[in-house]
Amino acid sequence: MIEFERVSRRFGDLDALRHLNLTIDQGEMAFITGHSGAGKSTLLRLLLLLDRPSSGEIRVKGELTREIRSHRVPQYRRRFGVVFQDHRLLFDRSVHDNVALPLVIAGFSPRDSARRVRAALDKVGLLAQEYANPATLSGGEQQRVGIARAVVARPEFLIADEPTGNLDPQLSSEIMALFEAFNQVGVTVLVATHDLSLISQLRHRIITLSSGRLAGAESP
Amino acid sequence: MNSPTGQSAERWTRAAVWRAQHRIAANDSGRKLLQRPVATGLVWLVVAISLALPSALLLTVENLRPIVPDLARSAQLSVMLDREVDRASAEAVQGQIENWSGVDAVRWVSREQALSEFGEQTGLATLLASLDRNPLPHTLRVLPKLPVSDSALNRLIGELESFPNVNRVVADTRWMARLDETLVAGERWVLALGGAMVLGAILALANTLHLAIDARREEILVVRVIGGSPAFVRRPFLYTGLYFGAGGGVLAALMLWALSLWLTGPVNALFLLYDSPGQLQGPGFEYPLALTVLGAMIGWLASWAATERYFRRLEAR
Repeated sequence: MIEFERVSRRFGDLDALRHLNLTIDQGEMAFITGHSGAGKSTLLRLLLLLDRPSSGEIRVKGELTREIRSHRVPQYRRRFGVVFQDHRLLFDRSVHDNVALPLVIAGFSPRDSARRVRAALDKVGLLAQEYANPATLSGGEQQRVGIARAVVARPEFLIADEPTGNLDPQLSSEIMALFEAFNQVGVTVLVATHDLSLISQLRHRIITLSSGRLAGAESP
Repeated sequence: MNSPTGQSAERWTRAAVWRAQHRIAANDSGRKLLQRPVATGLVWLVVAISLALPSALLLTVENLRPIVPDLARSAQLSVMLDREVDRASAEAVQGQIENWSGVDAVRWVSREQALSEFGEQTGLATLLASLDRNPLPHTLRVLPKLPVSDSALNRLIGELESFPNVNRVVADTRWMARLDETLVAGERWVLALGGAMVLGAILALANTLHLAIDARREEILVVRVIGGSPAFVRRPFLYTGLYFGAGGGVLAALMLWALSLWLTGPVNALFLLYDSPGQLQGPGFEYPLALTVLGAMIGWLASWAATERYFRRLEAR
């Protein structure tokens, strides 16, 4: 469970988030939408402790994130799988090594790690490209490698920031279908997107932000 | 990991994880350096020159040092006895002085012997033979116990001078003291120069490493978001720094070896010409070892500084 209690984040005169109250249930899948600058990215950054709120509290499974000391932040972040809009793959290494990165960080043995990497690549349908360089893959394939990297360590939460921003509708719905598949095995999924036509077809909660405030939350 | 899938990871102890992560970082950094041999070689050269120059100077000073005790051994005191002292009294004086604690040996030189030695050394033997009487007194050559400090030597000279039947004591030790001080000053000069050059090497390395870090900016950002600790992010760069530094140290040692090989011939000939039993002391094993360790430390330090600065700027954004 993720709880935002009256969370604000100010950047100088600008309120990126204003007294935001929001609860994401365990095992839920939700979309966060709104215009650019509405506070979607700020919300995700606060959740990942890449930034701290100006006021208010954020709780993850009851734990106050304010009380997480800086040396424990890396461990905290390992509970999240993160998918970026521009996928952020590292082109100096193979698909396999990209996906294995979270496992290397978490300290899995090479054998265990190799097995999990293949399982994750299999799930996103890219097992055949295991030893390719990600630069040789198409945009949709690169994003699927990014998703494999996000889920390979089997995180409790999957966070995605505009994961379909650069993809055509066909590829976008494939990506969303992947997120739903992970949600079905118990992962809490939070996707920031402005692709309303795509998410309106899916039966998940849509949280709309407007100027840092909650504009409306529709339940399916 | 508290997820159920973390169990197999826990079979790995923390130490094993730490070792594995180090191995991966070490291999990756090494491979990256070898992929750019020219750039890597140039960095090694910069470090090597900064280390080789001061250590060559230090080696020079160290080569001069052992010659000094040789010279000190010739620091014998010539104790001229009063002219009227005869042979028996001279031997009595010798017997007494020999028992002094600061004295190693006393050799008695008769005035006849002194005259003939003087004649031999100066080539004036025939002229001296024409003198109607020997102008030289009996002399005692006193060897102080070594090592002897300046103040102890001066005390010994004072005691000898106030001894009955002694006319005067001749000792030229000031030039030795001067040489000694010159060496101390030279050594400090070398250390100061060495310190400055090592600092230069650190700055050059830190700048090179900053570029290497910036080239992997994307990786740093990703690793940070997916839970890599600062130590994990820093590790590959510490190894890069270590390789730069240690490689430079090894190259510096090779330069030093080459230099001393090149100099051995003429320097040893010089020693021979000065009737010195000495030989050029090469860098041995201590210098290469010290250079490699120093280089590695410099590299590690430089990359620590560079990553620290980079991370701080990254956090501040």
